[in-house]
Amino acid sequence: MHKKVFSILSVLLILGMLLSACSTPATPAATDAPAATDVPAATDVPAATDVPAADEVTLKIYLLDYTPDTIAWLKSDINPAFEAAHEGVTVEITEGSWSGWDTTFSGFFAAGEGPDIINLGSEMNTLYGESLADMDAYLGEAAWADIKNFGPALENAKFEGKLRGLPIFTAPRYIFCRTDLMEGAGWTTGTPQDFEEWKAFAAQASTIDPATNSLVQQALVPVDAGSMADWQWWLLVYYSLGGELYKADGSPNFDSPEALAATEFVLDLRQAIYGPAADAVGALPTGQGSVIDVDDATSKDNGAVCLAHSGWAAPAFDRPIWENVSIDPFFGDPANFPNSKPVVLAFNDWLAVADYSQNKELAAEWLKLAFSKEANNKWNETMGLIPARNDSQYGYVTESPQLQREAELASQYGVGFAGIKEAAKLSTIMQDALGKLITEELTPADVVEKIQTEYTDALK
Amino acid sequence: MLENSYLDLILTAALTVIFIIASCFGLGHLAKWISKKRGAKPYKQENTFAGYFFAAPWIVGFIIFIIIPLGFSLYWSFTDYRVTSQDPANWIGLENYIELLTRDANFRASIINTLYLTIIGLPLQMAFALLLAVLLSQKMRGERIFRMAFYLPVILGFNTAVLLCWRLMLNTGTGIINQIIRSVTTAVPALGYVNRGFIYVQEIITAFFLGLSSGKFNLLDRIIETGFPAANRVPLWVQSPLWTKMSVILLMVWGCGTMMLIFLAGLSNVPKELHEAAQVDGASKWQRFWKISFPLLTPYIFYNLVVGMISSLQIFEPIFVLYRDSQPLVSSTISMVYYLWQKSFSHFEIGYGSAISWVILVIILVITLIQFKLQKRWVNYDLY
Repeated sequence: MHKKVFSILSVLLILGMLLSACSTPATPAATDAPAATDVPAATDVPAATDVPAADEVTLKIYLLDYTPDTIAWLKSDINPAFEAAHEGVTVEITEGSWSGWDTTFSGFFAAGEGPDIINLGSEMNTLYGESLADMDAYLGEAAWADIKNFGPALENAKFEGKLRGLPIFTAPRYIFCRTDLMEGAGWTTGTPQDFEEWKAFAAQASTIDPATNSLVQQALVPVDAGSMADWQWWLLVYYSLGGELYKADGSPNFDSPEALAATEFVLDLRQAIYGPAADAVGALPTGQGSVIDVDDATSKDNGAVCLAHSGWAAPAFDRPIWENVSIDPFFGDPANFPNSKPVVLAFNDWLAVADYSQNKELAAEWLKLAFSKEANNKWNETMGLIPARNDSQYGYVTESPQLQREAELASQYGVGFAGIKEAAKLSTIMQDALGKLITEELTPADVVEKIQTEYTDALK
Repeated sequence: MLENSYLDLILTAALTVIFIIASCFGLGHLAKWISKKRGAKPYKQENTFAGYFFAAPWIVGFIIFIIIPLGFSLYWSFTDYRVTSQDPANWIGLENYIELLTRDANFRASIINTLYLTIIGLPLQMAFALLLAVLLSQKMRGERIFRMAFYLPVILGFNTAVLLCWRLMLNTGTGIINQIIRSVTTAVPALGYVNRGFIYVQEIITAFFLGLSSGKFNLLDRIIETGFPAANRVPLWVQSPLWTKMSVILLMVWGCGTMMLIFLAGLSNVPKELHEAAQVDGASKWQRFWKISFPLLTPYIFYNLVVGMISSLQIFEPIFVLYRDSQPLVSSTISMVYYLWQKSFSHFEIGYGSAISWVILVIILVITLIQFKLQKRWVNYDLY
């Protein structure tokens, strides 16, 4: 009896598995299909005949830290439109995080298997370039006329001159300052214009609570507020002095006067705010929202007077605090360096097609759809960022005075965070050296010498 | 690979099951054949077959998931294999090992940091676990709730929520840990001196270790020059390179639940008669613990020491979760395994990373062997 029951159950189980295997993957119900007005312009949707229909293909896309609105929009508008135009194709989005992305990606490349489209940051074209597909045949000007509408961010999506994907947005780093807090600290001349002004401002506008021996107001919060010595902040300062990462022969340029001055400035500014390493004060308390905003729960300022960061870290555009916020580039140090120039360091997110992908053509078609004029605008609207496509910069971009100002500054002073050889190694080398700078284990001269030596070795 | 992903999955699963069954029979028959060749009797041959048949899934898994990757890792450690490079791995002999052991200052720094965490963190972790175990071995109300509460960190691990909580708790100005320190030192001024003394000693020790890593002792000189900390000084936990390692130690101590359970088991094994006899002889509680419980706990202490040392020599998670977003602080606390991760999965130098992993293995092996050699001098197995 037991044997019979076991046999029947086994047969049922196997039948069930076979039936589910033979069924077609779930397709969106008719009611799930986006309304005609939601779908990107008809001309942007590739016709079903454009690409040979493949049987049961899953196009896998790996995205990092996008807002729920963005993911919802991709799933409700873009993917169904794409699937409708490509019979038998299912688009699958996996969401990852910038924390730990490198481990995940190295797994994909080591196995030679993973998502067809992956989300990369600005400097990663050189890091992964060899493992990314040459997409010129699908996305180059000869194949897709729209490519000429992409701004300078497109350079970040190239490796060895060949397109590897498409940029989504440009997110430059600006200096956002609270004018009311500046005036409250007795600083009436606006965003500091050179290094000396920054140091004076840092000392004048930072406040320490003697009871807690911690900052309650911090004149400037750059990337990584605690250390004030992140390599991206250093690079912004360095570029503003007219510094170049490489010499004409391609060797590193960290032994230049600009590199030493940038390092000295980073240390001086940190010490003006936190004091010497052996007797440093505590960091700002953690607040709700942007560090230059007001905490709604306590109605107190979060403590930063100026913020050197992208729009990600700034208050939302509908916050009332914007009445008192100025947006400027970082002006460099024109008094001491004639090549000094105002800079906003432009970061991008871009989507690349992995070389191991068996669906390169489909991936290109999906990219064309998701990066059409309307789609690139919509994608960025969900995040309040500047679209990488020039012709997508309309609507919310021009309606928002903040974004308009940001876009103007980006076009005037934008410097790309790209073209860094061995970016991961340079990051490690610099973070290590800058970490020893803030503890004063190494002098600024030691730091640039260490970076120059180690990075030269890394490039061999 | 089939186009239909569902069929592909079912086929893969079915093939895996067939492979496992075939492996079981294959290994069983191989063992039986060897047994037969050795002249074993038929029933012995059948027993051998059955034994290897049932052990085969584990043995096959061990070969596939441990032995083969170990072989690859050993091979790659002699090559310049890089994941993202299209070039094939080139055999470079001992170059990775020579670079690592003679020229790589960052690896030396990671060893020093790991030693700091092991020498200072592990004893603190064990002491705290023992203290908790002693407290929880007393009969009291809610004993099980306390046991669960102290074991909870082991279950929670170092996930994002935990990380966020620790970051908030360790905030210099408003974190609860510094708030408590401030309250206590304000209420009892004498404790303020203890706190400042602790800060001074801790910063001197850390600056010394940082000096060992970088080869320069400027920071140590400056701390000594600055002198005894001011009255309002508090630890700068996750903010200053002088406190990064101590923050990691806090997390290590917080996760001492497993050690605590082992000590609890050890304490419950100590015969009550010994304590009763000592009590009759007038021994105090401390004397009974120190002269009776502690010597009988030494096998448990030894176990925790061996396992704890292996674990602290491989420490990675607390450093990763606390400092990954503040990279300039990483160098002050980078451990051997973090360095291995950095080289392998951030720089993609799998060849070099493999060499690091083998060096770590040798270090752990040597230390563990020394511990086993030395145990004869202090571990008391009389009762067992």
